[in-house]
Amino acid sequence: MNIIDPALPLSIARLDAEGRLIDAEARLFELNMRAGGNIGAPLAVPQIATLARLSQRLGIAISRNVIAADGEDDLELWVRAEPEQGGVRLEVSGWRLRPGWRAPASEPERDGDFFRSAADWLWETDASLRITFLSIEAGARYGFDSSAMLGQPLTRLFRLEQDEAGELPILTAVAAQGRFDGQKAELRGTGRMVRLAATPRTDPGGRFAGFVGAAHMLDQAVPAAPKVDTPLPQAAAPFGGFPDSFSQRLDRALRGPLGKIIANADSISAQTEGPLKPDYAEYASDIANAGRHLLGLVDDLVDLQAIERDDFETGDEAIDLADVARRAAGLLAVRAAQAEVRIDRPAMDELVPVHGEFRRALQVLVNLIGNAVRYSPPGAMVWIRLERDEGHGHVIVADQGKGIAQGDQEKIFEKFGRVDPTEPGGSGLGLYIARRLARAMGGDLVVDSAPGQGARFVFSLPIRQ
Amino acid sequence: MSDNPVGTRDGLAISAVELLARAAAAELRAYKGLMVAVEDFFLPEEARLDEHSRAGLAALLRGLVETVEGEIREHAVRLLTGRGESALIEPGVSVLARLWNSGLLRDGDLMAELVARVRQEMLGGALPMNAPDDPERPSLINRFVQHPDRVVAASAMAVLIAESRRRGSPEVGQFQTELPAELHHRLVWWTAAALRERFEGANEALDRALCDAAQRSLAAYDEGDRLEAAAMRFAAAIDAQPGELSGMLVEALGDRRIVLFIALLGHALGVPYALARDLVLDPGADRLWLALRALEIGREGVAQIGYALSEADPRRDLEKFADTLDTIAAISPVEARAALAPLKLDPDYRAALIALQRGGVK
Repeated sequence: MNIIDPALPLSIARLDAEGRLIDAEARLFELNMRAGGNIGAPLAVPQIATLARLSQRLGIAISRNVIAADGEDDLELWVRAEPEQGGVRLEVSGWRLRPGWRAPASEPERDGDFFRSAADWLWETDASLRITFLSIEAGARYGFDSSAMLGQPLTRLFRLEQDEAGELPILTAVAAQGRFDGQKAELRGTGRMVRLAATPRTDPGGRFAGFVGAAHMLDQAVPAAPKVDTPLPQAAAPFGGFPDSFSQRLDRALRGPLGKIIANADSISAQTEGPLKPDYAEYASDIANAGRHLLGLVDDLVDLQAIERDDFETGDEAIDLADVARRAAGLLAVRAAQAEVRIDRPAMDELVPVHGEFRRALQVLVNLIGNAVRYSPPGAMVWIRLERDEGHGHVIVADQGKGIAQGDQEKIFEKFGRVDPTEPGGSGLGLYIARRLARAMGGDLVVDSAPGQGARFVFSLPIRQ
Repeated sequence: MSDNPVGTRDGLAISAVELLARAAAAELRAYKGLMVAVEDFFLPEEARLDEHSRAGLAALLRGLVETVEGEIREHAVRLLTGRGESALIEPGVSVLARLWNSGLLRDGDLMAELVARVRQEMLGGALPMNAPDDPERPSLINRFVQHPDRVVAASAMAVLIAESRRRGSPEVGQFQTELPAELHHRLVWWTAAALRERFEGANEALDRALCDAAQRSLAAYDEGDRLEAAAMRFAAAIDAQPGELSGMLVEALGDRRIVLFIALLGHALGVPYALARDLVLDPGADRLWLALRALEIGREGVAQIGYALSEADPRRDLEKFADTLDTIAAISPVEARAALAPLKLDPDYRAALIALQRGGVK
């Protein structure tokens, strides 16, 4: 197995006992030159010089992952320093440009967390691809002996399958020290198929040290054997196959922490605890906004699950659509003022009696007016008009934004159907939910608009005689 | 919906009497709050838990209490249902919150164990990985799984199993507390008591169910299953000889198996795991250097171990270590063993000596 990728060339240098450069291969030589060093002078890249000195003092070979500035760029290097004939021999590989920003957690840890959230179970190996860790309960669940597999070659647990190109993704990944996904395999002796994904572990010298991996079962998940006296579980709810309790748990698990994040970020941003550098206060405000966005998404997902159930029903109350529209406009007054958008709300004496559920109708209108405010340029106006015909009362919410092209008008009502995914804000669920709610109440939600003309949403509910 | 900017809180109305009572209590609360703040402010920085350990400790404690609570509650409910009294164990005040507020968790032995475990995990997690020179060579413990001696192979396997179990699973969480038996014992009874407290008045059926459930949990618990115990058994099974110990210690660190490292050290020194762990976790590490010299680990081995630990623990001073390395290497094993002799005395005797010193004036 070739552990040194040709794409990550190794560059070797030697230093004398005083830390002066004796010779260096091209890449390292050039880096050192650009940093202001030369042959016969002390090494000019401080991080590498430190490591060399340390290796010499300790008298052992040591390796470190080092970030070195190279002009405008940051280079990520793997440096190995080893004492040699009174001086030090350096091996530098990696030579990757470092992305401008990276989360502080080391990569395998973060990937581990990521896998953990989605995988059915987890595994890890050492450099020789022998298993060093397995989710211990996976064996009992999927029919193999976890404990007998620990310490064994990975291929003892999995019979690996070639992909369409006739290759084994895992071997390609070992050779390239990269991650892989989509390695199909059979859990030996069980007839069950899994998809394996993993990221490599690399030691500070840049050498492959094993995989941190996840397994996704490809066949039907085996339900835990039902206890004799417990009723069989209901057919899976339609919401992505998640059980009902999922969204409740999601709601409970996220709402509290998010609320705290938002509240704390807001108080940092408001500098309630004392003055702060303005950019920090701004970051805090970004955090609070992102938190609100997530909280909104949680609400949407919880709603989504509710409305996608077969037995979802809305209440039938006698409500006044004009009143609901005025309240929705009132709720958004602050946001509209911040965005310098005026809302032209229905007059106090207007009345449109309809059937519907107050809370849900309010939810639909807050969504429509909120969107209208968001997409309006400063100084623009959002109109709320009321109409009625034989069977229905209508609220029309019109804005002066950039409008919606004909071809996109159905798309915006689709689940996660965002026209421009790069646009900030919104989960892509709001209008989908709003339309489902309108229809559940016996009404509808439609749009007409042309690019450049602003958007016009019409929300209808059955009229009350 | 995401565009709903208003929070709909439940209206919270309090009576005037309540408000007055709260105002009256406020002064005392403010004073107490201030005292805590003063305490906090004057704590020496180096003695304080860093945020990482603090969060780790809270998560560990929560996990342990929930594991025990789940076990006892589940069994007690089954017993009560069998006796036709199902409704007795219902959710109430969280057991963790109750134990926390009661001060019971301030138990010195328990906290010593938990703090050590959190630090041990942090250190293990931060150790730099060291890939083998030969990529086909399995890691240290995996090589022993293949060992022809069944005792050695089985004990190596037991370490791997215990470690996989210790890390828990995304769904099940922790499988068991992995505490020393005595501490597990305490936690089980505290939890049973906290569950009992949710119901006022005499209730023999509930008392009996909780006792039975607690006893069952204790009977099923085997501290020999702990990762630390498995690692000590493994260290005893391979009984590393002086010539091979240094390489094994270094390799265990390179494989990021801190528990194995501590166990190898503990066995070689002839001290219990907890004591070896203290030596390894102490960022000052003077006792560790003496211990390594007592085991005749050479300059290179000490350097590799010191370097790996320093890379993993920001509290350690690598430069200072490099400065003292020659001094450490110059200590003779005989001297080092003499200096460490007190470590081998009866742990209770040593604990008593320390307690007496802490007590102050003679």
